[in-house]
Amino acid sequence: MQIIVKTAGDDFASRMAQMFENVIHQGHGSLVLVFLIGVIFGGIIQYTRVDKFEKIAGFAMLKDTIVPKMLFLTVGLTSIGLYFMIEAGWAHYHVKPIIWQGLIIGGILFGSSMAIFGKCPGTGPVSIAEGRIDVLVGAIGGLLGGLVFTLYYDDFFKALMGESAGKLTLPSFFPGNEHMVVLIFGVVVSIIAVIIPKKEMFDEADLCKLPEDQRPDRQS
Amino acid sequence: MNRLPWWMGGILMSGLLLMTFSVFGADRPIGASTYVPFFAGLVFDLDPEKYTYLKEVQNAGSWEGIMLLGSLFGGFIVSVFLTKTFRLSLVPTGWKKYKNNSVLSRLFWSFISGFAMIIGARLAGGCTSGHFMSGMSQMAISSMIFGAVVMISLLITGRLFYNTKED
Repeated sequence: MQIIVKTAGDDFASRMAQMFENVIHQGHGSLVLVFLIGVIFGGIIQYTRVDKFEKIAGFAMLKDTIVPKMLFLTVGLTSIGLYFMIEAGWAHYHVKPIIWQGLIIGGILFGSSMAIFGKCPGTGPVSIAEGRIDVLVGAIGGLLGGLVFTLYYDDFFKALMGESAGKLTLPSFFPGNEHMVVLIFGVVVSIIAVIIPKKEMFDEADLCKLPEDQRPDRQS
Repeated sequence: MNRLPWWMGGILMSGLLLMTFSVFGADRPIGASTYVPFFAGLVFDLDPEKYTYLKEVQNAGSWEGIMLLGSLFGGFIVSVFLTKTFRLSLVPTGWKKYKNNSVLSRLFWSFISGFAMIIGARLAGGCTSGHFMSGMSQMAISSMIFGAVVMISLLITGRLFYNTKED
């Protein structure tokens, strides 16, 4: 695999062009496919409404449980499918390293910001796409966060993240019983998704635009 | 139908993840926070040769950047034609109900939490997409640690930050 990036020009427009060029050459799907993955990703998030403040901050307040239900079901189903795809050679592992300090400090920062913002980096852009200006302001904050992280990565953040303790997965602790572990994990996580009690916080500002008989809050 | 139920969303998202992971698709996980420092490099005109981190995120950032453009497009189309939720707004209804009515307060906290969120995601090496969805689907221990810490921190902050007792 050879990655060719033309370095002609370092103004904003050329660097945007280089982003397209990079994706074409990096061998992780064609440009159209990657764009399409984004369209479907954004479409599912928008269509299920999990980008809403009321869904994410609502979960932080335990007044809405759609986000954890959907997340756990996604993980449960994908874990079983993915494991057998990897066994068949149709996919590869891309496991992130265990960096204790980074995971804990990062997790605390991420979780508390998610509760206040009511978005995460994947759902935020979808909210901006439906006209949420407060999220756009948050994204500018995020961009500055990315800038600060990049500027002080070598001097500060890299040391804060700590050393990697390896890239372990759950089945690797049970040699010989991997298939069983995967099945149990997938089934248990999916069952958790089903048994989390369903609670929803509705947003009148959205629902008032729908015809009376199509409002989700008036159906069972 | 103008809303998808959660189980349908879970099934579709799982299908999308499997397709993205497969060698017939993109042969990589879905991630949605590496593009932020990548775009910061573009917007603030940082030289990628001078910053280690920009070099590290060059490929992943570009990939996610294209995916982000797709998700902006997908989100916009679905919000206009299917969910009919496209409108310009500054303060979410839930914020008005459980926090306050101040536009300034919402924008201030959005900015601060957006900033801290990206620092947090980059420290941990992923976000809800990269760690929680893609990582836990691979049963990665790192992602389970991140998931547990995020859940606890999210619920504690939700309890302390909002006035949930009024209704």
